[in-house]
Amino acid sequence: MNEEVEKKCIELVEKSKEVVRETFEKFKPLEIAITWTGGKDSTTNLWIIRQVCLEDNIDLPQVITIDEGDAFPEITDFLIKISKKWNIDLKWLCNFDVLKCCQSHLGNTVKVKDLNERNQTELKRIGFKEGSFTFEAESYTGNHLMKTVVLNQFVEENNIKALFMAIRRDEQSARKSDEYFIKKEGGPLMPEHTRISPILHFTERDIWNNIKLHNIPYCPLYKIGYRSLGARTTSNPMEIGMPAWEQDIENTPERAGRRQDKEKSMDRLRKLGYM
Amino acid sequence: MKNVILLTTDALRKDTLGYYGNKDKLTPFVDSLQDKCIKFTNAQSIGPYTQASFPGILTSSYYLEYGRGKNLSPKRTLISEVLQESGITTAGFHSNPYLCDFFGWNRGWDVFYDSMDEDVKSEVPYIKGDGINKKVGEWLSFYTKGKEYKPFFLWLHYMDVHEPYVPERKYLDMVDPSINLTQNEMFNLFKSIVLKRDVSDERTVKLLKKLYDAHVRETDDYIKKFFGTLEKLNLLRDSIIIITSDHGDEFSEHNGLSHDGKMYSELIDIPFFVYDYDKAKGEVCDTLISNIDISPTIVHLFGLGKVKNFEGYSLFPLGDYPKKGCFGEAIGKIGQKEKDTDKPVYFYRESDFKIIYRESSNIWEMYNLKKDPKEVNNIIDTSSMADDMKEKLNSRKPQVKE
Repeated sequence: MNEEVEKKCIELVEKSKEVVRETFEKFKPLEIAITWTGGKDSTTNLWIIRQVCLEDNIDLPQVITIDEGDAFPEITDFLIKISKKWNIDLKWLCNFDVLKCCQSHLGNTVKVKDLNERNQTELKRIGFKEGSFTFEAESYTGNHLMKTVVLNQFVEENNIKALFMAIRRDEQSARKSDEYFIKKEGGPLMPEHTRISPILHFTERDIWNNIKLHNIPYCPLYKIGYRSLGARTTSNPMEIGMPAWEQDIENTPERAGRRQDKEKSMDRLRKLGYM
Repeated sequence: MKNVILLTTDALRKDTLGYYGNKDKLTPFVDSLQDKCIKFTNAQSIGPYTQASFPGILTSSYYLEYGRGKNLSPKRTLISEVLQESGITTAGFHSNPYLCDFFGWNRGWDVFYDSMDEDVKSEVPYIKGDGINKKVGEWLSFYTKGKEYKPFFLWLHYMDVHEPYVPERKYLDMVDPSINLTQNEMFNLFKSIVLKRDVSDERTVKLLKKLYDAHVRETDDYIKKFFGTLEKLNLLRDSIIIITSDHGDEFSEHNGLSHDGKMYSELIDIPFFVYDYDKAKGEVCDTLISNIDISPTIVHLFGLGKVKNFEGYSLFPLGDYPKKGCFGEAIGKIGQKEKDTDKPVYFYRESDFKIIYRESSNIWEMYNLKKDPKEVNNIIDTSSMADDMKEKLNSRKPQVKE
C-alpha cells in the first residue's frame, strides 16, 4: 500500500478515535451500545471502538445486532465467528412477534390484529391504517417494525443514552450535513438518546483501504462482488465475481446492487426501444 | 403551505394538446383546466430524450456535465434530497427504467416506486397511467386522509405515449375509427418501422402518428382520473401542480422517428403549465424557459433558500425571472443503439433564434423559429446573428465537471 494512502488511513482512524473518546467522556460504558450488522462499515466501526477500549482500559460497551428476518447466512456466520474471536457477548435483537405472525416467511401476510400491542401502536404511529401487510425485506412497514421498533425497544428497556452507529457521509446525499453527535429527541416509544457516528468522514474507498491496512476481518460476500449487504432478497452483487474493493467504487453507486436487478432495468430499456 | 405536485409525461409533444392549439381534441380534460393554470408557451427541454432531459428536471443540471452514462452522478443534487432535508415529505412514482433505483435516482425519496419489480409485456413495457394512479392514490390516501400531514412533494410520471404505439381500441376509435389493426400488427409496426427509423413510406408514418395520438387521448384520461383523486382527498386546493413532458417525439419532420439525439422543436419543445386553484387565472407567459428551472421553482414554492448546485432559476415570481437563452446537450445518437463513438450535439436558443452544433459531423445549423418554425431553412451562413449565437453556444459547451 502506498505511503500516502497509509498515512490517510491512520489520520482517519485517529479522528474516529477522538470521537469515540469524547463519547466515553460524556457517557458511562453501561449507558452505551454499539450497533453491528456484520457489514464492512459497522465492523470497521466496532474495530475502532474496541481499539480505544483496549488502549484506554475501558470496558467495551454492549454490542447489538438486529435480525430483520432476511439475513445472509454468511453474515450470521461472520458475526458469530468474529464475536468469538474478539470475545464479544453479542446481543441479537429481533421483532419476534412479527416473525411469529408471518411464520418467519417472507412474502406472507401479517394481520395487524395478530400483532402485540407495542407493534400495533407503532404501526398507528407511522400512520399505517390497513388491516394487514406483506412481510417483505426493506419495505417501509417491514423496516419500521423489524429495525426501528426493535432498536427503540432495546434503548428504552436498557436505559441506553448513546448509540454508536456506522454511518458514512458519502453513503447518501441526505447524510451530507450529518454531525458526529446527533441528539434524538424523546417521543412516544422513542426514548431520547444520542447517536454517534465515528466513521462519518470515511468514504467507501477509505473503508477498504483501512481494512487492508489493519487486516480487519470482513464478510466473504464482499469478495465475490457484493458492495453493500442488506437484506438477502434485495442485495445483489454489483459485479459478479469481482471483489468489492476492485470495483469502480468512485463511479458506480454502492447501494445499486440492492433492491434492483440490473437485468430487469436493461430488459425494460430494450423493450422501450433503447438498446 | 401548499403541496407541490410534478406530473411529467414521457415523450408528449407540445403540439398534441388542444391547450396549445391542436384541433384534434386529444386532450379535453387538460384543456378544461386552463382557467386555473398559468401556461408557458415557450418551454424547452435541455435534452431530446429522457436521459438527457431528466437531469434538468430533477437536478437542475445539464446531461453531459457529469459524464455520459446511465448512472446518476452522486455529485448531482436531486430536488427530493433538498426537500427531504428540509422536512418535506417526498414521493416519486414512475415506470421509466432510465430513472430507476438501480441507476441511482432513488435518493431523498421517502417513497419511491419505480415499478422495476413488476412484470410487463413487450407491447406495453411499462406500468400504465392507471397503474401509476393506483399507487399514487394509495399513498396519498394513506398519507393525508383524515389527519394533519407535513407538506409533500409528489412526482408522478406517465409512460403511455412512449413507443411501442399499441393503443387500446377504445382510444383508437376516438382518434380514427377507420384504423383496423390488431395489437400484434401495431407492435410489428413498432419493430419494423420505428426501431429501424424507416420514414420511407409517408402513409405509414402518418398511421404511426395516429396511434401515438390515441395514446395522447388515453393519457388525458389518466390525468383526469388523477385530478379526480386529488379532489376526492381534498388536495386540489392545497396543491400546486406542474404539468410538463420530458421531450417530444419525431414523425419524420427531420427524417427520423422516435426521439434521437437531435435538437429540433418536435423534440425540444415541451408543454408546460402550472395549476393553482387560487392564484392562477389563465395567464399566458411567453418568456423562454427551460425545464432546468423546474427544481429551483419547486424550492421557491416551498419557501426554501436557493440551492447551490441548481443551475436554473425559479419561474416565480414571474417578474423576477431573468430573460435569457436556453441551452441543451445530448449524445447525438441516431437510431436505436447509442454507440461509444457517438459524439455530443448541442443547442442554444435565444428569443426566436436557435443554433445547433453536431460534433460528429462538425455541422452548424441555425434557424429563425418565427419565420421557419419547421426548421428546414438553415441560415448559419447567411444570418448576421450567426457569429454571436456561435459564440454563445461555444461558451456554454462543454462544461464537464469531473
